[in-house]
Amino acid sequence: MLARVGFVARLPGFRRCERSLLSSLRCNATNSVPQTSEKPESKSVRNPRVSEGGRRKKGADLDSTSSREDIRAVRLKKVEELRAGGFEPYGYTWDRTHFAVELQKKYVDLPSATEANEEKDHVAVAGRIIARRVFGKLAFLTMRDDSGDIQLYCEKAKMMDEPFDLLKTSLDIGDFVGVKGTMKRTDKGELSVMVGEISILTKSLIPLPDKWHGLTDVEKRYRQRYVDMIMNPDVATVFRNRAKITSEIRRHMESLGYLEIETPVLQGEAGGADARPFVTHHNALAQDMYLRIATELHLKRMVVGGFERVFEIGRIFRNEGISTRHNPEFTSIELYQAYADYHDMMNLAEELVERCALAVNGSTSITYQETEISLQRPWKRATMHSLVQEVTGIDFASFGDDIEAAKDAAMGFFEGHLERHDTGTIMKSPSIGHLVNEIFEMVVEKTLIQPTFVMDHPVEISPLAKPHRSKPGLVERFELFVYGREMANAFSELTDPIEQRARFEAQVQTHNATMAAAAEYAKAKGDTALASAANDAYEVGMDEDFITALEYGMPPTAGMGIGIDRLVMLLTDSASIRDVIAFPVLKHQ
Amino acid sequence: MEGGGAAPGAMEGGEPMSKSALKKLEKAKKAAEEKRVKEEKKKAEAAAAPKKAKAAQHAEDDEDMDPTQYRSNRLRALGELKEKSRNPYPHKFQTSISIPEYVVKFGEIKDGEHLEGQDQSVAGRVMSKRASGGKLMFYDLHADGVKIQVIAQSNYSDLSEEEFSRMHASIKRGDIVGINGFPGKSKKGELSIFVKSIELLSYCLHMLPKTHARGGKDQEDSKVPEHWHPGLARNLERYPLKDQETRYRQRYLDLMLNSDIRNVFKTRSQVIRYVRRFLDEREFIEVETPMMNMIAGGAAAKPFKTHHNDLNMDLFMRIAPELYLKELIVGGMDRVYEIGKQFRNEGIDLTHNPEFTTCEFYWAYADYQDLMKVTEEMLSGMVKEITGSYKILYHSNGLDQPPIEIDFTPPFKRIDMIKGLEEYSGGKIKLPADLELLDSPEVNKYLVETCEKFDVKCPPPQTTTRLLDKLVGHFVEEQCVNPTFITHHPQLMSPLAKWHRSVPGLTERFELFMNKHEVCNAYTELNDPVVQRERFADQVKDREKGDDEAMAIDEGFCTALEYGLPPTAGWGMGIDRLTMLLTDSQNIKEVLLFPAMKPHEDVIEPPVRAADDVAS
Repeated sequence: MLARVGFVARLPGFRRCERSLLSSLRCNATNSVPQTSEKPESKSVRNPRVSEGGRRKKGADLDSTSSREDIRAVRLKKVEELRAGGFEPYGYTWDRTHFAVELQKKYVDLPSATEANEEKDHVAVAGRIIARRVFGKLAFLTMRDDSGDIQLYCEKAKMMDEPFDLLKTSLDIGDFVGVKGTMKRTDKGELSVMVGEISILTKSLIPLPDKWHGLTDVEKRYRQRYVDMIMNPDVATVFRNRAKITSEIRRHMESLGYLEIETPVLQGEAGGADARPFVTHHNALAQDMYLRIATELHLKRMVVGGFERVFEIGRIFRNEGISTRHNPEFTSIELYQAYADYHDMMNLAEELVERCALAVNGSTSITYQETEISLQRPWKRATMHSLVQEVTGIDFASFGDDIEAAKDAAMGFFEGHLERHDTGTIMKSPSIGHLVNEIFEMVVEKTLIQPTFVMDHPVEISPLAKPHRSKPGLVERFELFVYGREMANAFSELTDPIEQRARFEAQVQTHNATMAAAAEYAKAKGDTALASAANDAYEVGMDEDFITALEYGMPPTAGMGIGIDRLVMLLTDSASIRDVIAFPVLKHQ
Repeated sequence: MEGGGAAPGAMEGGEPMSKSALKKLEKAKKAAEEKRVKEEKKKAEAAAAPKKAKAAQHAEDDEDMDPTQYRSNRLRALGELKEKSRNPYPHKFQTSISIPEYVVKFGEIKDGEHLEGQDQSVAGRVMSKRASGGKLMFYDLHADGVKIQVIAQSNYSDLSEEEFSRMHASIKRGDIVGINGFPGKSKKGELSIFVKSIELLSYCLHMLPKTHARGGKDQEDSKVPEHWHPGLARNLERYPLKDQETRYRQRYLDLMLNSDIRNVFKTRSQVIRYVRRFLDEREFIEVETPMMNMIAGGAAAKPFKTHHNDLNMDLFMRIAPELYLKELIVGGMDRVYEIGKQFRNEGIDLTHNPEFTTCEFYWAYADYQDLMKVTEEMLSGMVKEITGSYKILYHSNGLDQPPIEIDFTPPFKRIDMIKGLEEYSGGKIKLPADLELLDSPEVNKYLVETCEKFDVKCPPPQTTTRLLDKLVGHFVEEQCVNPTFITHHPQLMSPLAKWHRSVPGLTERFELFMNKHEVCNAYTELNDPVVQRERFADQVKDREKGDDEAMAIDEGFCTALEYGLPPTAGWGMGIDRLTMLLTDSQNIKEVLLFPAMKPHEDVIEPPVRAADDVAS
């Protein structure tokens, strides 16, 4: 939460929100005025729950003022009463002249204990009541809109009697109101709208929570995101910044002459990555379909078709576990540029991330989870082999094809240093390429805090990248790491259809071998393990149509994918991917 | 939006076209198919015919070769290069200028003028090749939808004559090449680049379909221009590549060979960009809501179902983002929008694809009247900006009829749905004056009889909602060629719309129709949670009657409403259908890069293993 303070400070409109909300809650607890309105009305009033079609048991504990159902019943009754009195509690429209923050800015110089009530000072605002203090002939409301908060100063003498009474009897925290009035800064220096006219625009039925367990009850925050957003405006700030980031990316891509296109989500073959896809069924076609796991193969087809610069920002789906960094659906940008190579993509990655950082934070120096990160260009560029060698002291390029010798060397390193590492994955590596990647993931990744381009991956783990122009066994590829996380993946694209076919075949083979090994292993462990392994198994298909497209000729091309969610996490200092996705996938309740 | 009409999926049963139009289209399809068969036969005959003296020529005769033979020849050439350790797929070719920039920069030079010393590097695809003796070659080089001529003369080249002719013999139509040379114009005034060096960057292993097969019946039709741009009519008959299956399954060929197509998809992109800019300028925030849900809500349609293994949980693909977007308004974001894919597990036809793109926006404190103004402003502004005029041409009655004009000049016509039904039926349909009685059994019976009387088909279940929808389709929507708002739908047709503030039984809703198709759907949002629950309950009743397109109840959404949704107006538009209009497309597949197609066998050449091929 510490990190969030920065955001609040930059948003003048929200500066006081935490406090005013708290004070209102204190009011609720100590001041009897708002409290009575929340209580089931005295016994002289018809019991509203009876008219509710007996939804609730009779004889429920009437004293439990905190009961949500009781409050709901009281508020439902208020809805009826308002209608009976000729007020529609669900209004149709409101002509707003100003947002709260606009008024804060416009009247920043209005001195305390001063009113501004000329013709030009007549304003109309609308928003949700988040705090309410009512005294005999005076009421203070805090109203929150899209931009921030403002106080509503309600003085019975300045209003018609009816609205003031309405306010006292029918208005609750959580309701939406529309207000017309003039401006005043109170003796205490609080800018306020002097209310002349107030209308309830939407009656809320459920009270806002007394305490918002934002930090402890994490699940609830995501399940009822709107409550999270009402109670903590920073949440929406993240989504606003998310919109800024995608918008900045789009603007920059378009300025470079890229065309945004849409490729299908539902596909006959899930290609372009190695991940378990979601399967669905199209009834009319009587055909199983996969949800895309990448946009790569279709975008490349468009480069074949003559769109030399294309990109797509869109949803990707992977049928994998959820974590602070993984949601089954996430957003990526993939972009392809003819006549470019992976060096061009490194420059573009720097440019894009820098622009987004400036758009959101106004600076290339950012703090992520209390770690200082500099996004100042240029970023470190190093090959995967050299990074692995730096940490392990082993030059894996020196082993040629001798996988056993390489494994021995790797085991030597781990035995000497980090015994707890699971050595199984090392022993199972089918090639030196896989081995190097394995070791990279185990010991190097987490050390890459400052932006680093990790270059020139082994060909075995890069089925869609072009062979390196001078280093045999490697490809022209990079992954961008920041804070130990992969942010981008790019290559000079493989354009040779014959080699592409061979790579796909090798990929299918490796995948099937891995799946078979897992099944074999599970067999030894018993039925449940076997069932779970079968559940985890999936097929990697070959996209024949894509190879055919390559046979029609794709120009030399470079491509890059960037995970938008992770970029937003980084630039908004969000710890979990669920903080940057409005409605993340959650387990069954 | 609910009803989703905005999007393909609203019209159900796939009867959006008039029968005569459908018939015409079928006829046209049949003709095209016959033509294709004929052409294929010709090709096969040509392939079977004894090969003519081959050695003498090199370029043109490739065209007569058997496609399989052609491919294996090229594979062999590739294999030979690789054996010599020459990389046939270079990593990088640095261009100094794009072809469109080249045309702008050098387009004005004089006929016959050569700018030696102003060397440029360009790259693109060779779309035609002509030889004039052994020392002079001409190519058409295409890139970014623009063409320049390439002139290769052996005396400008560093290569020996022999090397020169070997180099140029290796370049085939469809190949990607990089060229260094100087700009100039031929004596005939054709902008060209004179080759100093040329490099093959990527091979086209297949014979490209011929491009000089121009023609088409209505070439005289002055309304169909040579170079298409949005708002004008297109003539598919004139395309070098006509076969629909190939065009849709191998879109890259369609893009390579049919020059309009590139522009069609650029237009699509422009439509989306315009919408985005329009909303951004009005300070709407673009958001992303889930495409996979526990419940598919916000519209009435059959969803796709999938399964999350790790969570062992069934999920549905969204059919509309409406409910989530309204939850964000509850959360305090006053203006939000989302442009994205929706999914409906329904049949595929001329206006329906299982996935399609919509824009929905929600605007707190506004109502449907505000939305109508904004809709007029957005659409008329967009059409004007993209096409240059408020009026567009569209082949509404089939390609063999002249295109009609659709006029987007604001304000758009407005037809009140119920009054319109009475008026356009010539007063023969009379609904009760008290529209709250619409859901009575008497009215249902009357509507069943009325449908029979006018021969309006409504397959069961014959709910009042469905009967009204069919009648409105028959009498009112037929009036809506120019953009027209049909307003004030009855409550029972609009479970998420707010009741009309002064006319009981109706809602504050409109749909915008163009060319008789629904493109937008919008309303003042229902924000009374009690009424919302009742409406959902009515939907459940319709579901029980067998209308599986009635909506499911979403408890989570109702709870959100109980926290209070401010007065809000919501709006949805089908991007695909709008793009169809601006690109004179009669089939939704024309505006989707990769439309859903039936599973196919052997439509694309069965890939042959390289090794086998070379051996053959």
